Amino acid sequence: MSEPTKNKYEDKLRPHVYDGIQEYDNQLPNWWLWTFYGAVIISVIYWFSFYNAEVMKTDQELIGAQLAAVEKARLEALGELSDAVLWQMSRNPGFVSSGEAIFKEKCVACHGPDLKAGAGLAGVNLVDAEWKWGNHPMSVYTVVTNGSPDKKSGMQAWVSELGPQKVSQVVAFLLSHHSQQEMAAATSENEPIGL
Amino acid sequence: MRNPQKKPTLDSVTSINDDGSRFVIHPSDVKGSFTLWRKVSALFLIGIYVLLPWIPINGYPAVFLDVMERRFHIFGITLAAQDMWLLFFLVSGVAFTLFYITTFLGRVWCGWACPQTIFLEHLFRRFERWIEGDAAARKKLDNAPISGSKVFKRGLKLVIYFFLSAIIAHIFLSYFISIPQLWEWLHNSPKEHWKTFLFVAAFTMIIFLNFTWFREQLCIVICPYGRFQSALIDDDTLNVAYDYERGNPPGHVKEEKAGDCIDCRRCIQVCPTGIDIRNGLQLECIGCAACVDACDEIMDKVNRPRGLVRYASDRNLEGLKTRFLRPRTILYSALMLLGITVAGFAFNSVKPAVAMVTRMPGVPFYVTDSHIRNQFQIRLINKDSKELSFSIFAQANGQSAIIETSGTPDGTILQAMEERNSTYVVQVARDSFTGAFPLEILVIAEPGHVQILQEVEFLGPDPRLLKKNTP
Repeated sequence: MSEPTKNKYEDKLRPHVYDGIQEYDNQLPNWWLWTFYGAVIISVIYWFSFYNAEVMKTDQELIGAQLAAVEKARLEALGELSDAVLWQMSRNPGFVSSGEAIFKEKCVACHGPDLKAGAGLAGVNLVDAEWKWGNHPMSVYTVVTNGSPDKKSGMQAWVSELGPQKVSQVVAFLLSHHSQQEMAAATSENEPIGL
Repeated sequence: MRNPQKKPTLDSVTSINDDGSRFVIHPSDVKGSFTLWRKVSALFLIGIYVLLPWIPINGYPAVFLDVMERRFHIFGITLAAQDMWLLFFLVSGVAFTLFYITTFLGRVWCGWACPQTIFLEHLFRRFERWIEGDAAARKKLDNAPISGSKVFKRGLKLVIYFFLSAIIAHIFLSYFISIPQLWEWLHNSPKEHWKTFLFVAAFTMIIFLNFTWFREQLCIVICPYGRFQSALIDDDTLNVAYDYERGNPPGHVKEEKAGDCIDCRRCIQVCPTGIDIRNGLQLECIGCAACVDACDEIMDKVNRPRGLVRYASDRNLEGLKTRFLRPRTILYSALMLLGITVAGFAFNSVKPAVAMVTRMPGVPFYVTDSHIRNQFQIRLINKDSKELSFSIFAQANGQSAIIETSGTPDGTILQAMEERNSTYVVQVARDSFTGAFPLEILVIAEPGHVQILQEVEFLGPDPRLLKKNTP
């Protein structure tokens, strides 16, 4: 008499018991096992493509590349700028109208809608013949970008909010109220900066 | 199929064979009042799903989750990304409502309202029935050798399934981009919106695989609901249940000692998850009541009263009455009422305009010869579908400080859905400044006189220092 062949997959009880509860050692569904195999396969592809073949870029690399691009654009914008370029911009209607829109949204709070500041407004008059930090376009640009050197009562830095392009637009709008000869003849209260 | 007369047990899942392979379940057709009402409920819910993006309320579709513009139009209310906190009520509300209903009616959601069941039973299986025939014919086709007619039937079924999946995926997309936009994009090349195209393609494939192949595995293995149903129900919860007192022991009609169950296995044949309801409540049961209708039909035939399998609580089966009023339901009802009230207040507080005051970057305050100056930025958002005019006022409650403001002029117009960062400068004369004080900034949007009050701190130096330095 031979033993009847046992079913290979017959329900087997696991040895452990908790509070009288036992569990069967049933086979996992095959599709479930395939999700594991799939994850193993994908992890190899992932590891290879991100860290070996460099087909894909990691998030850090992507962010680094973006930051570098932003920095490059900023440096380029600065490198090209000069008094002459700012004057040129100030005679370009497109630049001036973009700058006017920004001025009306941000700067008007202190410098007034007519740029003259005046009673109750905190800013300086921008259309008179007296400049605080230099009678040169690049001085104005530097003050708008980095803020007034007078950190106690002067203007804040705007570059973080506007970015270099918008700063140059708003400076162009401001310069459109002046001419080169008139500005060169104006006085400066302090030693001109940003030259 | 290895075992056509597989006997469902409590020890393993019917739809998975001992070696881990799949046992395909082909539920038999069933007729009856529950089946009829389930069909009505399914068609109604499918109708809602299809129609919601088409019904305009306040100029937008009834549900339009405009992810690109970050505006969420829900039944006439427009929410911005800033209103995201209201999601708390949605998420906790959905979960709690599920708990609440489960306490009374068990897993009625699964059988009557879950999209998985509704699309599977009332859409995909309908087409399967139509193309491949009834359960017996489908089993036969599964086992049949490959032939022209098998390839044709299977091919036709898969093509129809694919189109159904694509339609469901596109309707889903229309909730996020609206019907006109969907129509426009459908006529463009996929390259122009390749990300969306990829999303819809992937979503279509997931739906297709789910309803073609995965089916009840989602309810049994993936969905957590069945796993914790034991914690949500008690002896007074109505479940689809077999009356074991009346039915056991099962036996032939003519057997004298047998119970009312004639062991015809109809309840097993019609079960979409392949369980034997006579084993009692199991996590696989989606409460669809197909076995109730199946058993009633048989009981009618053998002239025995209906309801051997019926919606019943455990107490019911013991011959007692189901108590709907019990500590759990009273507590849940109180919590439900509380939740609804709070959510009602929260949604009522949503305004068509948003204003958020933040201090400008840089130094917190400026001191000039005559004034102390604080600079703020006010983010104005018009969530309405028409233009709004904004005016800003500042006041210092109970303070002698004289306030001067400049910046955003009164009546600043924002177009529909516009967002703007506006500068707002507040100055206090040096002489009247007696130290930092809370400053109330009131933004009023017209028409509608929407008021938004924000409190900020007006900062300045120590007033004693100020006096000392005064020339």
